Amino acid sequence: MTDRYVSWTDPNSLALLLARATAPRRSPTAFTRAARAARPAAKISTPPVRISQPPPPAARPPASIAPTPNVVPALEHVSDNPSDMLDALLAWTLDHQKCAGAFVADDNGLTLAAHGISEAHVSLVGPLLSALLAVRSIPGIDATSGALWLGTNMMSWVEARTARGGFCLGTVGAEALSTTALSQLKQALEVTVRDL
Amino acid sequence: MIDTKFLDQAVQDLRSVLRDGLVATDIWDRNDGLSLAGFNQQPVAVALFTRITTELQSSLADSNFPPLARYYLLDMEGNHTVAVINHGALLQGLLVDNKRANLGILISVAIPRMLEAVAKAQAAAVR
Repeated sequence: MTDRYVSWTDPNSLALLLARATAPRRSPTAFTRAARAARPAAKISTPPVRISQPPPPAARPPASIAPTPNVVPALEHVSDNPSDMLDALLAWTLDHQKCAGAFVADDNGLTLAAHGISEAHVSLVGPLLSALLAVRSIPGIDATSGALWLGTNMMSWVEARTARGGFCLGTVGAEALSTTALSQLKQALEVTVRDL
Repeated sequence: MIDTKFLDQAVQDLRSVLRDGLVATDIWDRNDGLSLAGFNQQPVAVALFTRITTELQSSLADSNFPPLARYYLLDMEGNHTVAVINHGALLQGLLVDNKRANLGILISVAIPRMLEAVAKAQAAAVR
């Protein structure tokens, strides 16, 4: 009786099973290599989940829900024509800032380019910038940007000066632009008017 | 002697700024009325604005008004504006369609660029 075994207790069968289970993994076949190559790259580097490990922490919220910083690309001009540059500045402003209209005016309030705002409204830039000359005489006061409530919406503006005079880039919208947005506008205006 | 190539370049630059808003322009010597460069040139306008500018400057002087500085403007019937630019020995007239080019571009961009370009041409002629 001692020499007889049922199949599942046969020492040889058990040894074979153990050897198969503990054998080193084979090198990937051509198929597995191709299949791996066809998978998205992100999945290749995903570590296998072990049962013995504790469950992964709660899944992160999707990236689209997480707040992302509003990255505004710097304005780059592809043309050196003044009219094209002003049009590009307006288009960039309307695309990247919260506004319903935008304009570029000189320091006399004459419109150089405008969209979504009447020339009558743009003309208030003239007296506005003149009034700010006195404000700027106070030491430490820059007053080259700001916002003005027009009655139904808010006008935000920035000013840049060149050898040919001052230029103003303004927007109209429900709210005043942030200081970050104003500095972006100012940079874009300076890039534009320095070559006019 | 002024090199008219510089003036031609300045006129081309003006055309690119005002595009189809520029109807005509001439740059001429105010002493002999000779047009040196232009686009859609108007000899009659050259003679007319030479006379108007001379009269204007003498009238201002006679009235003890400040002299003419960089330019003067005339608002014309039919949505047209005439700008006459004072380049010193040279004068320049521009006929602009108001519907196609706005006043801000004309005054803040086009005229200052013309003044600089013609001044450079005159400086090159002196050297």
